[in-house]
Amino acid sequence: MDAFRFFLFGLAALTSIGCMWLLFRGYFRSGVRLLFWTALCFVFLSVNNVALFIDTIMLPTQVDLRLLRSAAALAGIACLLYAFIWESE
Amino acid sequence: MMDIVVAFLGGAVALGYLVAGVFFLKFWRKTRDRLFLAFGIAFGLLSVNQILAMAIDAGDENVVYAYLLRVLGFVLILVAIADKNMSVRR
Amino acid sequence: MNDRNDDADFSDAFCAFLQSCVGSVNAAELLLFLWRKPSAVWCARDLAAAIDPVGSMSETEALPYLDIFAARGLISRMDDGRVSYRFSDDVDAHVQTLARLYLERPVTLFRVIYALRDAKIKTLADAFRIWRT
Repeated sequence: MDAFRFFLFGLAALTSIGCMWLLFRGYFRSGVRLLFWTALCFVFLSVNNVALFIDTIMLPTQVDLRLLRSAAALAGIACLLYAFIWESE
Repeated sequence: MMDIVVAFLGGAVALGYLVAGVFFLKFWRKTRDRLFLAFGIAFGLLSVNQILAMAIDAGDENVVYAYLLRVLGFVLILVAIADKNMSVRR
Repeated sequence: MNDRNDDADFSDAFCAFLQSCVGSVNAAELLLFLWRKPSAVWCARDLAAAIDPVGSMSETEALPYLDIFAARGLISRMDDGRVSYRFSDDVDAHVQTLARLYLERPVTLFRVIYALRDAKIKTLADAFRIWRT
């Protein structure tokens, strides 16, 4: 079960990192700012996922990264909503 | 104090995920691209997960289960990306 | 929309004009109506009512389009809010093209208008293609 949880949480972190990479690549190819801000969102979501991985799987009792996770997620969502409201049309 | 700040931020994040999910669904309606539907559902799951994680106020035993919906959301995103790359071009 | 690149009617400049100024079929009809009567001055309510035989539009729906046209220099706005078409060399050619395509190729024109409007969102979706062909 531990290995399964390790895999799942690691997969979530890798997915957000992968999305970030694809979106930055798309931005550098197209110059569309929507992609830049969406990529930035996934930067923060990646931080959030990696911190969650550390907080719950690797070092569950040694560290408390809740504040970092929450702040990173909020920063990411702020970037995404800015992108959708101002840069999508 | 930290618990209050984390709870406040968590509420904002939950609402943010939900609004982002709605935007993705709007994009899906405009373009009929399944990727956006998947992202919309995924962000909805992230929102629900955020609320549940705070509601459960998970201890060591349950904290991982509290985040499984979140993992499901990202797996859905992964599936959507795979589907995007495997589907036949128009 | 690869076909658009090979279609002489839909040049890059014309498509840029559409994307910037004509975000919907209603906007196109409104602009063409003003263009056909360049000396007339309209308030938004009378304009919406006059367009009705062509396509139904309310004053509330017309106002955002008029704001965009004014911002792009397509129309002149009086102090009392009334508007009229404003001729300019560089844009009028595009409006003439729009008028011609509206009559000759309306289906293609409407498809291009809506495809351009959603171009950024489509670019977002296309960013997730790992391999580009």
